[in-house]
Amino acid sequence: MSQLSTRHLLGIKDISPEDIQLIFETADNFKEVLNRPIKKVPSLRDITIANIFFENSTRTRLSFELAEKRLSADVVNFSSSTSSVKKGETLIDTVNNILSMKVDMVVMRHSSPGAPHFLARNITANIVNAGDGTHEHPTQALLDAFSIREKLGDVAGKKIAIIGDILHSRVALSNIFCLQKLGAEVMVCGPTTLIPKHTVSLGVKVEHDVEKALQWCDVANVLRIQLERQQIKYFPSLREYSLYFGINKKMLDRLDKEIVIMHPGPINRGVELNSDVADSEHSIILQQVENGVAVRMAVLYLLAGVK
Amino acid sequence: MAKLLQSLTFIDGNTVHSPKDYIYTGSEILPKSDNYPGNIDEIIDCTGLFASRGWVDLRCVSGEPGEEHKESLESLGELLKAGGFTKAVLMPNTHPAIQDKNDIQFLRSKTKNWITDLVINAAATKDCKGDDFTDILDIHQEGVDIFGDGLNPISNPDRLMKVLQYLQKFNGTLFDQSYEPLLALFGQMHEGVVSTRIGMKGIPNLAEEVAVQKNIEILKYAGGKIHFQTISTKGAVESIRKAKNAGLKVSADVSIYQLIFSDEDLLSFDTNFKVMPPFRGKEDREALIEGLKDGTIDAIVSNHQPQDFDAKHMEFDLAHSGMLGLQTFLPSLVKLSKELGWPLLISKITEGPLRILGEKNEKIHQLTVFDPSETWVYDKKSNLSHSTNHPWFGEILQGKVKFVINSDRLVKVNS
Repeated sequence: MSQLSTRHLLGIKDISPEDIQLIFETADNFKEVLNRPIKKVPSLRDITIANIFFENSTRTRLSFELAEKRLSADVVNFSSSTSSVKKGETLIDTVNNILSMKVDMVVMRHSSPGAPHFLARNITANIVNAGDGTHEHPTQALLDAFSIREKLGDVAGKKIAIIGDILHSRVALSNIFCLQKLGAEVMVCGPTTLIPKHTVSLGVKVEHDVEKALQWCDVANVLRIQLERQQIKYFPSLREYSLYFGINKKMLDRLDKEIVIMHPGPINRGVELNSDVADSEHSIILQQVENGVAVRMAVLYLLAGVK
Repeated sequence: MAKLLQSLTFIDGNTVHSPKDYIYTGSEILPKSDNYPGNIDEIIDCTGLFASRGWVDLRCVSGEPGEEHKESLESLGELLKAGGFTKAVLMPNTHPAIQDKNDIQFLRSKTKNWITDLVINAAATKDCKGDDFTDILDIHQEGVDIFGDGLNPISNPDRLMKVLQYLQKFNGTLFDQSYEPLLALFGQMHEGVVSTRIGMKGIPNLAEEVAVQKNIEILKYAGGKIHFQTISTKGAVESIRKAKNAGLKVSADVSIYQLIFSDEDLLSFDTNFKVMPPFRGKEDREALIEGLKDGTIDAIVSNHQPQDFDAKHMEFDLAHSGMLGLQTFLPSLVKLSKELGWPLLISKITEGPLRILGEKNEKIHQLTVFDPSETWVYDKKSNLSHSTNHPWFGEILQGKVKFVINSDRLVKVNS
């Protein structure tokens, strides 16, 4: 198989384990390209990609843009702060306007779950979901799993604890789907108020004691506290969160094994992760960022081949 | 004026009768007898057609006044006719809300030519906001006995208690779609396995169950009558069942589409499935069916809520709630009839709602005649609404109302 089973990447839920393996194998090749003196390939020459970000983003947008440029695509960027959305234009009108400019692919981030699915029903371009509200962030999950594979050799059979604000996290949901498709065991850990009531239905373990979660896992993927998506209070204070759910070096030292620490960024240092952990030898946070470009190159390249 | 309805299959709350000839005298329906003293003016062949006492819808919403582009009173009248309804309760959620004598007079004057009898549910609080009372007694003078805030619950317990007390002066009924808004905050769909999988903020069953329990307790204290609209949860069914067994004056209805769809239909983020209360899970549906069978739930309603294209053609969490329900009502009944049988369904759209409206089941002077087998395409051409917000739009549906009779009027529904 050398082609994805879908023409959009809307979520991990919708793709097969074979699709994920193909993306990984393609990303392996692109990672090699990224380490060459000349980091650019002509694969997407004459393809125009619009990065449409209706929500703030720094690293995801930069990562996509870099991936697109490394593939020689033409890139246009559009963000809500400069858009006409604030003037009352609807999502469909905004995107149609951009597509009138003959765009082949759209990378979109939006605060509404399902916004890319809505687009996919209404426009013809390939769509990559760069995060839709509290639903999915598929390329983040792919780069996380790719990084685990790189660090530990395989994802199958590994125990991954996702720690933090599960309720508001699209990274958590995509990670759960992706890791399970690759044969890993998944646990979620956090305050009860930040774990959806029906999470067990996803086939994951649920834990509220961070030390127990760390003891159980091979990899701890620590999530950012999504203060911007919390419209009401879920815990008393950042201080209390940090004391009871934050991870510090002493906790890792108490374990009888070495575990891998991940974080999708940006880190709230001193809240969910102390600097002595984020910057330690346990952490592969910067490798995640590097792998993000290779994985996104793979996704864009493969989707461009599916019409 | 008398008409002979030949070979008509009549259904009541107990049975589907064998096809017979009936005479519609102009004021009531009677089985044909050889010694009928009057003249027969017209003979209508009803072979293959079913009929029952005229259907009653306890809940529909208009766009007019204020949002005529969604539904005008004229189009609503046509929809009610095509839906087979000879009586319908209109919710007060228009712009402005139906909340004073002038509003009532406006509605009566605009709907005077309807074949469907209009029953008005006037707002209990100003603008349906749950705060200050409307002039309830003044509005009652215009013949209104039902009060409530329609699509909005009266969640303030003190306000609900006082409305219940105030309505007792004329034996009025409070209609309430009970849920606790603070437990439904930012919710877009039923909270469950599906909402978890698609990362959507859910509305837990708890939001409805807490409100129904609370309102039953208030009713015990205040007295009066409360009708729970469009209940959707197992817990609400159980609470209402207990309240009925305890002799409290409570009744309940369920949306017809709550019996047809479930939260699994939202997996594709289709905004046509965004309704309030949201489509629940399998266990809740089973409880609703049980509630219909044992009499806990008195009525099935269309819950017709038109939304224009732009209000639905957008991101799910921004899209408006609501689904059309009138033209699709009979096709929905046809689907449900295989599971529930016609007599039960008919009782929930005739005797059940009439009881809630305080009407005695005496002679039949309203009749709905329908063909349960006829198929038709639900599309732009056949759609009578100004809106199209139904997931079956574009599909072939089974079940067509043929004509309705209301006292001395017989109106055919055009194909």
